[in-house]
Amino acid sequence: MLEYEKHKLSNGLRVLVHRDETTPMAAVNMLYDVGARDEDPERTGFAHLFEHLMFEGSVNVSRFDYQLQHAGGENNAFTTNDITNYYNTLPARNLETAFWLESDRMLGLAFSEEKLITQKNVVTEEYRQSYLNQPYGDAWLLMRPLAYREHPYRWATIGKNIEHIQNASLLEVRKFFTTFYHPANAILSVAGHVDPQKVFVLAEKWFGGIFPGNGYLRQLPAEPSQNEERKMMVERDVPQHQIYMAFHVCGRSHPDFHATDLLSDILSNGESARLPARLVHYRKAFSEINAYVTGNLDPGLLVISGMPHNEVDEQEAEDMLWQQAQELVAEPVTKRELQKVKNRVEATHTFAQSHVLSKAMNLAYYELQGDADRYNRQMDAYLGVTADDLQRIANRTFKRGNASILHYGRPARP
Amino acid sequence: MPNRKQPPPVHIVSDIPFIKPKGVKLDNGLPVYFLEGGTEEFVKIELVFFAGSYMQVKPLVSYATSNLLRTGTDRQNREEINELLDYYSAYLNLEAQKDIVSVSIHVLNKHLEPALQLLRDMLRNPVFPEDEMRSFLKNKQQIHLINQKKVQHLARTYFNELVYGEQHPYGYRLKPEDFECVERSDLQQFHQYWFYPENGFCIVSGRMPPKIEKTIASYFGGTDWKNIDKGKPPVYPLLTSGGRKVSLSVPEAMQSAIRIGKQLFNRTHPAYHRLKITNALLGGYFGSRLMQNIRQEKGYTYGIASNIVSLLRSGYFFIATQVGTDVSQFALEEIYNELKDLRCRPAGKDELQSLRNYLSGSFLRSFDGPFAQGERFKESLVFGLDFSHYEDYLKTLGSVTADEIMATAADYLNEDAMMEVVAGSQ
Repeated sequence: MLEYEKHKLSNGLRVLVHRDETTPMAAVNMLYDVGARDEDPERTGFAHLFEHLMFEGSVNVSRFDYQLQHAGGENNAFTTNDITNYYNTLPARNLETAFWLESDRMLGLAFSEEKLITQKNVVTEEYRQSYLNQPYGDAWLLMRPLAYREHPYRWATIGKNIEHIQNASLLEVRKFFTTFYHPANAILSVAGHVDPQKVFVLAEKWFGGIFPGNGYLRQLPAEPSQNEERKMMVERDVPQHQIYMAFHVCGRSHPDFHATDLLSDILSNGESARLPARLVHYRKAFSEINAYVTGNLDPGLLVISGMPHNEVDEQEAEDMLWQQAQELVAEPVTKRELQKVKNRVEATHTFAQSHVLSKAMNLAYYELQGDADRYNRQMDAYLGVTADDLQRIANRTFKRGNASILHYGRPARP
Repeated sequence: MPNRKQPPPVHIVSDIPFIKPKGVKLDNGLPVYFLEGGTEEFVKIELVFFAGSYMQVKPLVSYATSNLLRTGTDRQNREEINELLDYYSAYLNLEAQKDIVSVSIHVLNKHLEPALQLLRDMLRNPVFPEDEMRSFLKNKQQIHLINQKKVQHLARTYFNELVYGEQHPYGYRLKPEDFECVERSDLQQFHQYWFYPENGFCIVSGRMPPKIEKTIASYFGGTDWKNIDKGKPPVYPLLTSGGRKVSLSVPEAMQSAIRIGKQLFNRTHPAYHRLKITNALLGGYFGSRLMQNIRQEKGYTYGIASNIVSLLRSGYFFIATQVGTDVSQFALEEIYNELKDLRCRPAGKDELQSLRNYLSGSFLRSFDGPFAQGERFKESLVFGLDFSHYEDYLKTLGSVTADEIMATAADYLNEDAMMEVVAGSQ
């Protein structure tokens, strides 16, 4: 049970605090309700580029990192298709430094044209390092537009291409800030050796005077339901073929989310799960195999990916994956199998509560989904899933007409 | 409104809440240390053996032996072991390093005993089935081939070879055919030689269930756990030759991976703490000179870092980055400039103070909770040290001067002595 106290400032900023006196540290997490899904389709990658710029100077602070490090702190941030999340850990005694810094960059940014150019270059190098200069690195740049036709999940957080990043202007940066970076669009959470009442006082002091900003009404195109199997083949200089299969599933807030998550666990959570046990160890047809749900706020994907050995025919390998999926449609999972994946979820949930940072992040993320208490209730939701639920969802999910399949492989054999 | 021009006061951390490890020795000679703490009902049990790749006479034997512990024991086959581990949600981690092998398990207290039983069987009575070994090595060979496509992987492996020589286990670079040369008997012998109580230790950390000491002793104690054949640690001379460069051509690479560094010493050396602080100033954190110059000012890279690595019989220093191929010459120049600067330009008052504050906060973070402390304790124990080693570091951090840092850089990090590997398109 993750205990916390909550307070909302008059400008709309939500503040959540968890007290843990066994640690000398504190984690300060600031979540902004903006992600790659909120981008202009002609300016993709912008939310992530913007995340970089948040470290390049605010109204009264020219060097965010320097000041936080000076207080013994460490920080980073990440951007997903749904959110932009900034986090700091520092000795709890220096908590106020994080409030000073986070509130100043919510108040307003102040950086130069040169810094924008430098960060565009840094992000371009990140694009190359993580997506283009890695074997299989561009697979998801291909998979997203295959699985999504309308919804903005069709592009990756890094952006559709490098040109979109290089074309971003200072004016667009300012507009993005005004639209998304204000108190009512943010959630602040703190976990660690802190007194919640004192944290609320600090929040009023540093964030209370920030202008609430104008509300943002999110209107995203819904993804039309898929009716035909989508297939794509690419040839690359890689040593081994890889197959990616994606099926549309519900979003995080849907009552079926937990069962969908467990369905992917049945397939690949742990070495004894079906895909590794049967296709890697028993049939020795694949060297690596994986299944997971993307866990997005809007309807997401259940993904199965695997690397068949070179002597295995690619289509036969794909058929083996289909066979495993269809078995979940045809037969209910065993009682012990279901208990096993529930036990694993329970352990993961408990392990996550041994770090102040993951506690702070979870508070903010679940508050965004409506109520931080969902975090505590989710274990019950997982435990309540039945074998019938899994079969019902498998039946709905594992259909040809709901599949997007990418064969990412070596040039065809002569 | 608060005065935003005035930063809130900053307190420097000087008191680290060290957990005092409770040490006992089991009847068979296995030392066990308990680090109690944490809020959640789970523990980590870690067994460490001095059975790293340094001890092997053939490539991959240490790696395969440790990873195949989970593929069959006298009681269960791989399938049964995996099913039980997953059912009891025990997270098993098998890690083979240069000097040690670590076998650890994270498990909820309510599932502790079945997890310990599995761990005990794996450590004491593994059978290393032939087909499991072949299949494991084949899968790892595939991953090895994929890694050969990554410039950073090439830079790392060629760099190690340059620093230690191809004959030395610290420098050996794996070849694809190595994955086909391992025999089952190699693993059996390696296990017999190195996995025994007196050649390792055990660390238990977390929120302990009652009678944990008795429980641990009942699974890992017993004088019948001993080795009949003892291995003899091999002896390899450490070669040193500075200033060599290797350039690897990877056609169509968009980035070059750069690695620059040299052989040094490990954490038992008197200058180690000073070197660690000097390294941090150069490239050990986001505010470091390398990161500020090469990423934040020039935008050549997504990231750059320098590190010092402690091995039982040596140690080394390296700088690593990936940069656009069009700017790799400029990046190299800047890196060498920063190395030169490190011994010529004293850290300013603010720069040094900031470094001190950051490192002390970072230190506190690295000791946060029983699992982090268990990790730090292990790192010291491997070198025959204890927590006083870290107290010495804190003292050095408090007293080190800008002149001492420059002297350390001059003694150990002279740019002319560096080895260099660049992997990318030219």
